[in-house]
Amino acid sequence: MDCEPSSSNTITDIDCISNPETEPNEREAPMSAGAMKLKSWLNKPLRVEMSDKRILVGMFLCTDRDANIILGSCSEYLPDGENASNEEPRMLGLIMVPGKHIVNISIDLWERFVKSDEDIQ
Amino acid sequence: MEYMEPYNGASCCTPKTQYYWVDITKDFLTSVNDLKLGELLHDSLFGLFEAMSAIEMMDPKMDAGMLCNRGNKKAKTFDQSIEDGSLKLKDISNADLIGIIDTTFACLVSWLEGHSLAQTVFTNLYLHKPYLIEDRALKAFCLSIYKLLEIIKEYIHKAMVCEEEDFQSMQYGYHLYPDISEQRAIGMLQEVEEDLHKRTRAKHNEVQSSIEVEEIVALYSRIKFVRALYQILSIFRQRKDDVQSSSNDVNKLLNQKLKIASDMLFVMNKTVCLGSYSSSSDLSPALGFEPLINQRLLPPTFPRYTKIKPRSEALGYFVNMVERLKGLINVQSIVAYNQALDFFIEFSKESPCILSRSALQLLYVGSYSIIMNAGSPTFKDILKEAAKLFISPPALVSKSILYNQQAKTYVESFFTHCTRPFSNFLQLCGHNRARQRDKLAHLLDEFTALQDEAERVDLHIHNIFMTCNLSRSHLACFGTWILYHTLRIMIMYLLSGFELELYSAHEYYYIYWYMYEFLYGWLVSALTRADSFLAEQELYNELPKYKGSNKKKNKCKKKPRPYLKESLYYQALQNMCGGYYKALMGFRMDGKLQMPHPQFDSEQVRYDHRFGPFQNLLTPPPVHYREFRELTSPERYQQQPVDSSYLYLSGCKHFHQARQLLEGISPAEKEVTDLLKISKTNFVVLKLLAGGHKKDSTKCPEFDFTLSKHFPIFKLS
Repeated sequence: MDCEPSSSNTITDIDCISNPETEPNEREAPMSAGAMKLKSWLNKPLRVEMSDKRILVGMFLCTDRDANIILGSCSEYLPDGENASNEEPRMLGLIMVPGKHIVNISIDLWERFVKSDEDIQ
Repeated sequence: MEYMEPYNGASCCTPKTQYYWVDITKDFLTSVNDLKLGELLHDSLFGLFEAMSAIEMMDPKMDAGMLCNRGNKKAKTFDQSIEDGSLKLKDISNADLIGIIDTTFACLVSWLEGHSLAQTVFTNLYLHKPYLIEDRALKAFCLSIYKLLEIIKEYIHKAMVCEEEDFQSMQYGYHLYPDISEQRAIGMLQEVEEDLHKRTRAKHNEVQSSIEVEEIVALYSRIKFVRALYQILSIFRQRKDDVQSSSNDVNKLLNQKLKIASDMLFVMNKTVCLGSYSSSSDLSPALGFEPLINQRLLPPTFPRYTKIKPRSEALGYFVNMVERLKGLINVQSIVAYNQALDFFIEFSKESPCILSRSALQLLYVGSYSIIMNAGSPTFKDILKEAAKLFISPPALVSKSILYNQQAKTYVESFFTHCTRPFSNFLQLCGHNRARQRDKLAHLLDEFTALQDEAERVDLHIHNIFMTCNLSRSHLACFGTWILYHTLRIMIMYLLSGFELELYSAHEYYYIYWYMYEFLYGWLVSALTRADSFLAEQELYNELPKYKGSNKKKNKCKKKPRPYLKESLYYQALQNMCGGYYKALMGFRMDGKLQMPHPQFDSEQVRYDHRFGPFQNLLTPPPVHYREFRELTSPERYQQQPVDSSYLYLSGCKHFHQARQLLEGISPAEKEVTDLLKISKTNFVVLKLLAGGHKKDSTKCPEFDFTLSKHFPIFKLS
């Protein structure tokens, strides 16, 4: 992988580890809006479609500027349709999808969906 | 769009069944741009270290799923292939049948060579649903392949001599049909055979095209071979359970089946060209094979594509297998441990296939594997017999001591402790050659402990003799027996390094030196001591029978000493090692041998590593590097200036002596004649060198290991 952090970033990482409760705006280097948003998606199920139409579903663990994504406990689904739709997903475990091969990304908001459903009721 | 608050959800661990996907592609890709170059965005618990072990998707070397999509042809399952008509269940042409059968054999061999079942045998779609096949020959064949897989697996599992590189036992969820009985499988094959036989006759009458007859004969031979192979394995399996019962009849049957198998293989080899190949692509070698069908069953990190052996090579593999199985018929008549050990070592020298290796393990001493057998009283008795035969310890043969309770306890517990190491020794010979070296080193530790006990038992029994006023010595009796095996293990360990090409040429000299100065010398003296014990025992046996039969006495005297041949052989090897050592020293002195720079490569480290497993031994005591330097320094030859030609000349003498010793061995086996040839050639080469031939050349002589894996021929170039 080509996403080795530079030393300055490592320091912010350590900050983050030592005090995870810190509010972002209290930090020396405030996080960018994009980073905040990405951070909020961490540890949520992500569904990534690759350029060869395979779909990967796994826990969003890590990303970088080139949108290389690391997914944990990932399952691989073959493209829908054709004759493979009935096939079982394949467990891959920890994987990295290069950003250049990503076609589509979706996040699972099932809990939110259920919650709003309950609110309506 | 609104997003949820971040949470540290433990619920993430369990896979959910319901999702509510929201597209964030654009959002994500723009957010990512806010990150700095090289910045990783991750949770506190996730770091670069974890990231390193991720499998990279869309990398052809890592992504197993990718190959599925490669090329335009998709792997079709059995049902799909039936539906679109690419897979036929009946009216399969003979050429296709031969192709399918031969490719299945090739897959079977690839499996036995360590590939996964899913990527070899089960790429054959017909095997996925064999009961649906309507062609009788193919159905019978497919079902018997299942039976073969089952029985082979049983052999390998029970023998426990396979390592992960030899054999993969994973079944990937394939169920090896046990629901068809052995008789039924054999019966089906037999019916098909008869049917085919009839058809050849009918064809002959109708004067059909010769190709067709040939095809039917080819098919017939294949079906018959499968049946023979299956029956051989099944007879072997049954035979090991009942050792005594009608073993002659069984052997006859086995011989007959093995002969059929090799005859059929001969026909198959000639007709291998008749089988059809699928023309559509190189990846699918015959009708009904889908190399990528199981790709998704494999773990994410896995060798992506298994190369199936070519058909004719696979048949060659079977030919060798059948030949080795033939050799196994006799192993059951062997009971004596030393004979068995020699057989095992000899058998292993040709690097036999996993199946024949496993079969050998299961056949000795009947029933289960040797290891399982180790605790049984039979094995203990076998060892006692072996010790008796080797050195006839008074403790085991002398009547006066047999009734001594204390002595008996010592001896019994000693032999109980012997069973495990000795059975390990046999089992070790079943492993592949590379693993054997590893295991020999461990075995030495076990024998070290035995050595200690043997010496104590010897001393105890000797003391009992003394108190009973018996004028016999028991010192170093069991000790010699254990020492003999220890030395053999040590020599095997050192020699295996040559076979496995572990040593570099500049290391050869101390390996040969060690064997020349110590190991073979000790071995010969152990044999001499054993011989004198035996002679003493014979004398004792004769004394009371003095008046008795004179015939017997004469017989004993005529008999040559039992260790004569073995002792000659080891002395010859000792001399050869001496020759190599001297010659290599000469090469060093002449600068013919390139030595590593001492700054980067310490000889002591190498030396200590090569003889590392010997460090804990009591007898023979390990020789340390310092001692080695002292013993081999040229200053020791003070009476004479040592130059290379002196060394060559004395090496020459060693090879000459080795030759004379080897010539004394009769009957001369192939190994002995090979060693003779090596000794003669090296003698000539060293003589030339001693005469100053190519003295100034710094080119290293070549070491040619083609005749023997352990003793090279020098070649001057």
